[in-house]
Amino acid sequence: MNYDFSEKEFTLFVDINEKMAGLAANGQLDRKDPAHNKENIKQALKQLAQTPYLKLGLQPVDGYQGQLSWMGAAETLAAVSPSAYLAVEASTRLFGRAVNEWGDSNQKSKWLTPLLEGNLIGALAISEETLNIENDPLTAQGERQGESVAINGAKQYVINAPIADWIAVAGTCDDAYALFLIEKEASGLTVEPAMETLGYDGTPISGIRLEDCRIPNEQVIFPPADIDMAEAIRMWENQILLGAGLGLSKAAYETARDHAKSHRSGGKPIIAYQEVGFKLADMLTLFQTSQLLAYRTAWTAETSPKEAGELLLCAKVFCAESAEQVCSEALKILGGNGYITGNSVERAYRCAKYVQIAGTSTEIGRVKIGDAALGYRN
Amino acid sequence: MDFAFTKEQLMFKKEIIRFAKKEIVPRVQEYDLNEAFDFESFRKLGDFGILGLHFPETYGGSGADVVTTVMAGEALGEAGVDGGLTLAYGAHSFLCADTILRHATEEQRQRYLPKLISGEWIGCMGLTEPDAGSDVASMKTTAEKKGDKYVLNGSKIFITNGPIADVAVVYAKTDPSQKHAGISAFIVEKGTKGFAAGAPLIKMGVRTSQTSELFFNNCEIPEENLLGKEGEGFNMSLQTVEWDRSALLAPFVGAAKYMLNSCADYARKREQFGRPIGKFQAVKHKLANIRIFAEASQSLAYKIAWCKDQGRPLNHLEAAVAKLFVGDWSIGPANDAMVVFGGYGFCHEYNMERIFRDSRLAPIGGGTSDIQKMIISKII
Ligand SMILES: Cc1cc2nc3c(=O)[nH]c(=O)nc-3n(C[C@H](O)[C@H](O)[C@H](O)COP(=O)(O)OP(=O)(O)OC[C@H]3O[C@@H](n4cnc5c(N)ncnc54)[C@H](O)[C@@H]3O)c2cc1C
Ligand SMILES: Cc1cc2nc3c(=O)[nH]c(=O)nc-3n(C[C@H](O)[C@H](O)[C@H](O)COP(=O)(O)OP(=O)(O)OC[C@H]3O[C@@H](n4cnc5c(N)ncnc54)[C@H](O)[C@@H]3O)c2cc1C
Repeated sequence: MNYDFSEKEFTLFVDINEKMAGLAANGQLDRKDPAHNKENIKQALKQLAQTPYLKLGLQPVDGYQGQLSWMGAAETLAAVSPSAYLAVEASTRLFGRAVNEWGDSNQKSKWLTPLLEGNLIGALAISEETLNIENDPLTAQGERQGESVAINGAKQYVINAPIADWIAVAGTCDDAYALFLIEKEASGLTVEPAMETLGYDGTPISGIRLEDCRIPNEQVIFPPADIDMAEAIRMWENQILLGAGLGLSKAAYETARDHAKSHRSGGKPIIAYQEVGFKLADMLTLFQTSQLLAYRTAWTAETSPKEAGELLLCAKVFCAESAEQVCSEALKILGGNGYITGNSVERAYRCAKYVQIAGTSTEIGRVKIGDAALGYRN
Repeated sequence: MDFAFTKEQLMFKKEIIRFAKKEIVPRVQEYDLNEAFDFESFRKLGDFGILGLHFPETYGGSGADVVTTVMAGEALGEAGVDGGLTLAYGAHSFLCADTILRHATEEQRQRYLPKLISGEWIGCMGLTEPDAGSDVASMKTTAEKKGDKYVLNGSKIFITNGPIADVAVVYAKTDPSQKHAGISAFIVEKGTKGFAAGAPLIKMGVRTSQTSELFFNNCEIPEENLLGKEGEGFNMSLQTVEWDRSALLAPFVGAAKYMLNSCADYARKREQFGRPIGKFQAVKHKLANIRIFAEASQSLAYKIAWCKDQGRPLNHLEAAVAKLFVGDWSIGPANDAMVVFGGYGFCHEYNMERIFRDSRLAPIGGGTSDIQKMIISKII
C-alpha cells in the first residue's frame, strides 16, 4: 500500500501548472473565441508536449504509473483550464488512445507521433442521435469500394470537431466496429458551426455530417473483434471526466478557501463564521473523497483493468455530483464576486453539469452499478 | 501510489467474515432486542485474536499492522455483526487498552493487557462529562494528589462498556485552573472504593453496547495509576483519535457492504407488479448509492490506517474528513437500505432498521460532525 504520489509525479504536477499558467491567465483559454480557440489549444498541446503528460496512460514513461500518474496530472490541468483540459483529452486520450490501442504501426506513426509531439489536434466522433445507453448499433457506416471506403452518417456533440486536423468517426464496416480517420478538408465531411454551450466555453464542439465521404482503406481502424468499441470509448470518456470533475472541485474549493481567509466581514475573515467555515469543510470532504476514489479507480485500471469497470462508474457518479456541489457552495462563499461572469468559480460551476451528463450519465451510471450489485448483466 | 492489500490480509478478512457469520451473527438480533451485552461473543472475539490484533505478542496480541486491524473491523461489519458489539470492541481495544499499552508502566501492562486482549476483562474509557462533551477541556472531574494517592471526584457520561468494565482509563483535571494542560489520565479498577457505574442508558442504536455514567466520590487510587505525567492527558486522548478515525469507522464501512449484499439478495427475490423489485430503476438507484458510499468510505478509512502504519503524526485534517464523511454521508445509504426492504425494512427481523439506528451514532460519537468541521475549517 502507498497513498502518496511520488516526488517525480509531484514535480510533473508543478511543471504542468507552471507551463500552463501564462496561457491560462485571465481565463484566456476558457473563453468562447472562435478566432483563437484553435491556436490556444495548439499552444496548450505544445506546452504539454514538453512534459510526459500527453504520453501518460498511452505509452510507458519511466518513473510514472500510467493512468494513475495521469489522473493526478489531469486534475492539475483541469483546474488550471477546464476547457483546454477537455480539448487536450479529447485529442489525446480519445482520438490518440484509439489509434494507440487499435491502430497498426503505420497508422500510429501517421497520427500518434505528431499528436504526442503536440503537432496534431484530433477528435473522436461517436455520439449519434439514436444512440442510447445500451449501445445500440452505430448507424454511421462505411462501405468498401475497392481501395477506398465511402462513409455516411451524422454525429452530434463532437469535442474539437471545429478545430481538429483529423476526426476519428466511430461506425461499422463489414458488420464490424470500425474507426474512420478523416482529414478536416476531406470532401463529404461537413463540420457544423460550433455550438453555444453552458460551460467549457473554450472547447469547440459541434456536430458533423458525412455524405459519401471517401477515404483510403489505410485510414480505417478495426478494433479486435472481442472488443466492444463503443463501450471501451465510453469508459475512456468516463476516465477523462473523472479528471475533469477533480479539477473543477479543486479550482472552486481553493478559490473559495482563499477568498474566505482574506475577505473580511464584521471585523473577521469570513472563514471564522461557521456558515462559511463549515461549508468549506464539507467541500473539502467531498473533494478529498473524490480524489481518493478517482486515484483508486485509476490504479485499478492500471493494475487489473477487468475489475475497474464498476469502480469507475462509482467514482464517476461521485466525482461528478461532488464537483457540482463543491462549485455551487464555492459560488455562495464568493458572494457577489462569484456571480460576476468570468471568475474561475462561476466558470467551474457552469462546466460541472457537463461532467454528470457526458460519458456514462449519472442516471445510467447508477442503473449499471445497481445491475452489477444485483448480478444483472446488460 | 498503491492501493493493494496483501494476500494474507485478504485471506484474513475472509476468515473473519466466516467466523463472524457462524459464531456471532446468529446471536445479534436477540441481544439487540434485549439491549444486552453479548459476553460470549465478546470472548469469542478475544479467542479469535481480534481484541488484541495490533498489540505486541508479549501481551498475547498478534502484532498486526493498523491496516489489518482496520480490515478486521470492516470484516465484522460486512459479516453482519451489530454496531453495538463492534463499538464495545473499539472502546475496549483502542480507547482503553491501547492507551495502557502506550502510556502505562511495564508492570501495569503485564497486569492489564493479557486479560484485556483475551477478553477476560473488559475496558472502558471515560472522557465525556454531563457538561463537557465537545468542549472536553471544560471537564470538572478532578484528581487531587494526597500523599501517595490521587483522589477522584466527579462524573462521566455516555461511557461505552461503563456498566461492565473491569478497568477504566479516566481523564480528570489535576490542575483545574488550566484547560487542556490540566488534564491527566488514570487507570481505575472496578471495585475501587468511591467508584461506581450507573445503569445502562437506553439508546436509539448500538444497543448491545452498554453505555452509562461513571461516578467518582472521593475515589482513592494509588499514585502509580497516573498514566504518563500530569498534564499529558489531553494528548493521550488525541492519540486515540487516530483509532477513532480508522478502526472505529471500519465497521460502518463493512456495514455498508452488508447492506448492499442484503438489499441485492432481497431485491432479486421480492416480487411486486409481477417482477423482482430489483428490476425497478428506483431500487437499483438505492443499491448504487450504498455501493458508492461503501467504496468512498473504504478509501478514507484505509488511508488513515496506512498513514498510521507509516508512523506519521496524525493528519488531523484527513482524519476529520474521514470521520465527517462517514458521519454525515452514511444516513442516505442507510435509509436507502431500509426502504428497499419496504415494510420489512422497518421491522426488526430484517436487520436494516437496526443498521440504520446503529449508523446514527457516526455523526455524534467520538467528536460530532460539527466538531470535525470546526477542526477542518481551522486547519485550512
Ligand atoms: C453511544 C455513545 C457512546 C459513547 N462512548 C463514549 C465513550 O466510551 N467515552 C467517552 O468519553 N465518550 C463517549 N461518548 C460521548 C461522545 O463522545 C459525545 O456524546 C460527543 O463527543 C458529543 O458530546 P455531547 O454529547 O456532550 O454533545 P455537545 O457537545 O453538548 O453537543 C451538542 C450539539 O452542539 C454542537 N456543538 C457543540 N459545540 C459546537 C461548536 N463549537 N460549534 C458548532 N456546534 C457545536 C454539537 O455538534 C452537537 O450537535 C459516547 C456517546 C454515545 C452517544
Ligand atoms: C409500521 C407499519 C404499519 C403498516 N400498517 C399497515 C396497515 O395498517 N395496513 C396495511 O394494509 N399495510 C400496512 N403497512 C404496509 C405498508 O403499506 C407497506 O409496507 C408499503 O405499502 C410498502 O409495501 P412493501 O413493504 O411490501 O414493499 P414493496 O412493495 O415490496 O417495496 C419494496 C421496495 O421496492 C420499490 N418498488 C416497488 N415497486 C416499484 C416500482 N414499480 N418501481 C420502482 N420501485 C418499486 C419500493 O419503492 C420499495 O423501495 C404497514 C407497514 C409498516 C412498516
